[in-house]
Amino acid sequence: MRRETQVTDGDIVRAVLAGDRERYAQLVERYRDRYARYAARMLGSVDAAEDAVQDAFVRAFDQLAQCKDPNKFVGWFFLILRNRCFAERRRSRAEASLEAADSVAAADRTDGGAETAERRRALQLALLALTPDQREVFVLKHVEGLSYGEIAERLSTSIPSLKMRMHRAYDKLREELREHT
Amino acid sequence: MSKHEFHPLVKQLLDGDITLADLPPELRAEGDEALRLLAAVDRSPVQLSAVSEHVMQAIAQRPARSVWRRVMQPRELRLRIRPWLLAPALAIAAALIVFLRTAPTAAPASLVTVRFVLVAPEAHEVSLAGTFNQWDAHATPLIRSGPTGVWTATLTLPAGQHQYAFVVDGVRWVPDPGAPAVDDGFGRRNSVLTL
Repeated sequence: MRRETQVTDGDIVRAVLAGDRERYAQLVERYRDRYARYAARMLGSVDAAEDAVQDAFVRAFDQLAQCKDPNKFVGWFFLILRNRCFAERRRSRAEASLEAADSVAAADRTDGGAETAERRRALQLALLALTPDQREVFVLKHVEGLSYGEIAERLSTSIPSLKMRMHRAYDKLREELREHT
Repeated sequence: MSKHEFHPLVKQLLDGDITLADLPPELRAEGDEALRLLAAVDRSPVQLSAVSEHVMQAIAQRPARSVWRRVMQPRELRLRIRPWLLAPALAIAAALIVFLRTAPTAAPASLVTVRFVLVAPEAHEVSLAGTFNQWDAHATPLIRSGPTGVWTATLTLPAGQHQYAFVVDGVRWVPDPGAPAVDDGFGRRNSVLTL
């Protein structure tokens, strides 16, 4: 039986706002790795993801009083991280590199062998060729496992719009994988 | 349909709405290709164990947080503007306003020290015009600090509401992107600062 002792995000946010800033570490621990993967796939690099997640947590702390519903901290935090990832991709769009995709593939090359790593690397490179909007919907659905409904709610958009983005992403990925593999 | 586009039914397969067996035989090979694409998706976890320590170190340097302090202590407002969205002189703009409250026991007409900051690397001169200097575009120049294009001016103003704008290169009136703005009645926007 699960003990009902789980401290909610809202409890922690309110404690931090009241001055107990050390409690913020609980929120960081709770969501750090959960969103690390999203950031790594969006940015194509674990190092870039680390910077983005770290910046997003610090920014969220600075703006914590603006989190209108402390119980929905994670959704609010996600939007901060998302903005950070989009800004980073705009900044370094020209730098999208083989090296970046290598760093993601190499970091996970523990169980699938060279062939799996190579396929992952090729797909990660192809993902970097998508627009950020297309890449995001692909990552949220196929990496994070969210449904279209869940993504629509998180991004405040419509399911048809998401599907259109996704279907363009499928075509672009196919084109990229055919041309570069 | 271009040669790279998946068939709509194959896209439904990728979306998880149908299975490979639901595809007509002529689309099975394309369906296989689509599923191989999904099989290459990397869902392995990413762990960023160093982040917690770095975040807590960063926020440890922040000023203490309390309702009273939020009202009385320095406050930062940040907004980053993409350079390619604005005219060259204003291309990169970010604003940071730090309110430095003077001693709580100040005179009845309390004064507040305010630092205005504008990031405008391509500007040659920046000044501040507002209700506090009779909108004189030359009265309150900002000083450029370093090569990054950060322009600052520190003023001590009476508590209350003030309207202002930055004047870049003497000709361009720019509202502070980090502060609320109101229409001045002449088609321009004035920033509003309430102390």
